[in-house]
Amino acid sequence: MPSLTRIAHGPLDDELNEAIYGCARGERASLHRLYEHLAPKMTGVALRMLRRRDLAEEVVHDTFLRIWEKAGSFDAARGKASAWVFTILRRTALNVLRGERRIELVEDYDAIEPISEETDAESLLVALSETSALRRCLDRLEPMRRRAILLAYLRGLTHGELAGRLGVPLGTAKAWIRRSLRTLKDCLA
Amino acid sequence: MSPDERERLASEYVLGLLDADEERLCEELLPVDARLAALVEEWRERVAELDATAPLVAPDPGLWRRIEVSLEGQASPEGARSGTLEPLGGIASPRRTAGRGWAKVWWENLALWRGLGLTACAASLLLAVGLSHVSRQAAQAPVLVAVLLSDQNQPAAVVNAFRDGRTELLALSALSAPEGKSLQVWTLWDRVRGPVSVGLLDTLRTVELKVEGLPLPAAEQLYEITLEPAGGSPTGRPTGPILMKGNASPTGTGI
Repeated sequence: MPSLTRIAHGPLDDELNEAIYGCARGERASLHRLYEHLAPKMTGVALRMLRRRDLAEEVVHDTFLRIWEKAGSFDAARGKASAWVFTILRRTALNVLRGERRIELVEDYDAIEPISEETDAESLLVALSETSALRRCLDRLEPMRRRAILLAYLRGLTHGELAGRLGVPLGTAKAWIRRSLRTLKDCLA
Repeated sequence: MSPDERERLASEYVLGLLDADEERLCEELLPVDARLAALVEEWRERVAELDATAPLVAPDPGLWRRIEVSLEGQASPEGARSGTLEPLGGIASPRRTAGRGWAKVWWENLALWRGLGLTACAASLLLAVGLSHVSRQAAQAPVLVAVLLSDQNQPAAVVNAFRDGRTELLALSALSAPEGKSLQVWTLWDRVRGPVSVGLLDTLRTVELKVEGLPLPAAEQLYEITLEPAGGSPTGRPTGPILMKGNASPTGTGI
């Protein structure tokens, strides 16, 4: 599977930086270059979060408008171009998840067996590279806690939703997340 | 904010776990709290690999055209017209910040408020104490009173202005600035002149405000308290979130 990390570490990294700087200068072709490189992965990420094709494409659409508006604030010294783009994408998708369309999405959720989310979370772990430190560190977490972290990222679930999904009290879900994230950070240090 | 709390906020912000209030708080703090911004960046790097595992999905062939059509309806990007490119958000972010403006930040910031430990209960209790204090001063009653409300519309402090211009702040709530921050009191009576600092505190308490040299307070004059870097705003203007604010109203005593 072509991976974003591979793209991001290659010479394409410079090209993506240049494309964002081009957007800041108002060059439409630069935005199109970004689109050609990143739109399929962006659509994949948005689809995984929203699970509806139309909403995912809408999020990609809105993300490109935001990239165009915010390109002037991008600074390659502070982070990778791809990370910058995916941060905007995730934020846009989270807004949709938290927004008015929430109700429709909730209906979708109900139709999905909890087991499928568990499978999703585990397959996400497996999709990480064998040599990935993130994978190694996630592997060390207790399965339920790992699932909480992965579901939060994958589906954009809030503490409350996670608690409901995992069948534990809200306070427990919050404490799990907090401790798991601390463990993860220490492990990745 | 304690280091632990900052870490939690950063990690849960990146994961997308925060509720709307905390998310807004985090986004407001990001431009002013460099440590928080650095932690957020670190967490993004930590979990970025997860995005890489998403499958490639070819979007609808018409999607690019739709984006182009939407762009037609927009002005050129911020900064494009100037022809210069300022890294570090030199163009887009300040404009965005300016758009939100100090006056617009208003009560957006519920969670910060909670984070700072103000409770409605304490506020009400202390309001009673504050009011009795006011009544004890009936002999020299203020001519103007401004009740500063939190974003939850809870009275958090009162500003009393007296006939001779003397102005005091009465704390109605227990509120302390987090480490590395100060509470700064501002007043605004003239949009052209802009807000003027009249006090700097670590903890909300009853103090006399520094109004020497300022015109006598007038009805509708604005008082507010913002969260600023320790020692006060470096720009001389409010830069941080507004914790409470209120406009002065004339009392029965008359100006």
